Amino acid sequence: MASKIAADVPLDAVAAEIKAFDTDFQRVMNEVGKMIVGMRDVVEKVVIAMITGGNVLLEGVPGLGKTQLVKVLSQALQIDFRRVQFTPDLMPADILGTNMVTEDSTGKRTLQFQRGPVFTHLLLADEINRATPRTQSALLEAMEEHSVTVGGITYKLEEPFFVLATQNPVEQAGTYPLPAAQLDKFMFKLIVGYPTFEELDEVIERTTSSVPPEIERVTSRDEILRMRQLVRSVPVAGHVESYAARLALATDPASQYATEMVRKFIRHGSSPRGVLALILGGKIRALLDGRYSLGCGDIQNIAPAALRHRLAINFDGESDGITSDDVIADLLKQVPEFEEDRTKM
Amino acid sequence: MSRLPETEVKQFQRAFSDLEAEMSKAVVGCREIIRDMLICFFAGGNLLIESSPGLGKTLLVKTLSRVIDLKFSRVQFTPDLMPADILGTNIVAEGSDGKRYFEFQKGPIFTQLLLADEINRATPKTQSALLEAMQERRVTIAGKTYDLEQPYFVVATQNPQDTDGTYSMPEAQLDRFFFKLHLEKPDIGGMREISQQSSSAGDVELRRIINGVQAEAFKKLVLAVEAPRSLRQFAIRLVLLTQPGSAMSLPSAKKYLRYGSSPRGVQALILGAKVLALIDGRDTAEPKDAMGVARQVLGHRLMLNFEGEAENVTPTIILNEAFKSKELSTVA
Repeated sequence: MASKIAADVPLDAVAAEIKAFDTDFQRVMNEVGKMIVGMRDVVEKVVIAMITGGNVLLEGVPGLGKTQLVKVLSQALQIDFRRVQFTPDLMPADILGTNMVTEDSTGKRTLQFQRGPVFTHLLLADEINRATPRTQSALLEAMEEHSVTVGGITYKLEEPFFVLATQNPVEQAGTYPLPAAQLDKFMFKLIVGYPTFEELDEVIERTTSSVPPEIERVTSRDEILRMRQLVRSVPVAGHVESYAARLALATDPASQYATEMVRKFIRHGSSPRGVLALILGGKIRALLDGRYSLGCGDIQNIAPAALRHRLAINFDGESDGITSDDVIADLLKQVPEFEEDRTKM
Repeated sequence: MSRLPETEVKQFQRAFSDLEAEMSKAVVGCREIIRDMLICFFAGGNLLIESSPGLGKTLLVKTLSRVIDLKFSRVQFTPDLMPADILGTNIVAEGSDGKRYFEFQKGPIFTQLLLADEINRATPKTQSALLEAMQERRVTIAGKTYDLEQPYFVVATQNPQDTDGTYSMPEAQLDRFFFKLHLEKPDIGGMREISQQSSSAGDVELRRIINGVQAEAFKKLVLAVEAPRSLRQFAIRLVLLTQPGSAMSLPSAKKYLRYGSSPRGVQALILGAKVLALIDGRDTAEPKDAMGVARQVLGHRLMLNFEGEAENVTPTIILNEAFKSKELSTVA
């Protein structure tokens, strides 16, 4: 069982580290909560992804405070922040940067690289599906490699580097939907819903009667990198690993683990990246719960965010109005935490 | 919440009516637009005006810059306008020692009152350069950030949508404008008045009513106006009633709308209502004040679907229905 593994490491030191992790995490959440009304689950998942170094796709209609969220986070975490509004005429150079001719003191002309907005820690790519595929993929390369190549020279991006991309859910003329292979590069996809009556009232309270509150800087770049290390060190029990793997495999209609709903409504399921997102995200959920071991419940908590964008609904599913969230909810019920027959592995 | 000092409310009231009167001297037959423009300014929003060419938009904005002492610049948006034409650009300059270096040449956005003429004629990238600066109140070029001087007010104008060769702004961009106003063609009386005024000799002498510092103080006063529960309920219900996805949604909103307003619409209703209350000499805004700005706030935030377009439904029709609903009549 998971508790046995945790018993092998010096408990006091670990307990202190977990406590510090939790405190830092909650302080970030509190700072964000000063400015952002509601969406606690979205904020928590964004911070989880940032700590693990994963990128996030936020889906929601305009004006729900997505930019505000990213801005506040960058302030609380003391990291650089840049925003790029994606448009149909945005070019790769507008994101990455470009070589410019300059003249040095001796009168010799040289090429100097003018860094684009990608050279930051937290990049908000607003309405990513409005840009053309070539421009989208320029960003996606930076996301995956954490480096940028312009004119044959490769520039490393400073760590931590995360991308938060936003996407408008309503079908719109003139957008270029991200293809599956590119969606897969996002650790999580989160849905930002419309605020409730009470939340709107709170928005009025906070935004229409005074100037916004100051955001305190609660962590730093180094601390985020340290938190990332701690997450990597959380042990994973065999049965939990197997559960995450079976959950991801079950999303593939061709797999032996596939449920009936998946066979009927899914065109293709999650890649191995889905498993990685489940495990890494789950580890932080465990730490936030004061545990130094990953449980199946942590995987379940992360599953919708980690898997929803990796499932492609087929034609039957679309016409029946099935969403990937419906399929994931069903999977969580159907896939057993412990495998009945070990010989199947 | 403490009541506002009566003298300050009086000062605002007087300044507002003086501004209205002074501007009406130069801009004929646009009383309503002038009033809405001033409301938008004091609420801290930015303005989108839709009108055909030649109806006096430039005059309107220029006049504002004369009655409130603000720096003014105008940018004509064209399909070949680039972001650097608005924001500014780094140019190579030569120092006294003959050494060359980059110097930032500020673009026309570095002003206080910016007229962005025919914004929908520019390409999306250029439009978004303006809108981002407008939202953030700052400009970032080549990694350096420059703050814009407050108060800052953008008035963008737009040709009606069916004009050829325009790039209509997507929903997310439209939502950034506080009010959208329609400038109608003047009637025969207005036409004659305009021709008399512009063909007679000389400009109208205009008095400066307030300066930028006073304007900023008035904007703070607006924030301090009380928004009681009845007003907040009215604004939230109005937005939820016209939101096709909400549980409260009107049947006609479900049928004819593709989109409703974002939470920015709720904020704008409240802030606009606060300005109206001050104009009326009150320190508490009421539901009727929100009703007074509803068309300007929500007109561009309610997006018709195909059925709505086909049946010639307008946002105003849906709003009027919302006002009559029992959800609003009980709080109004």
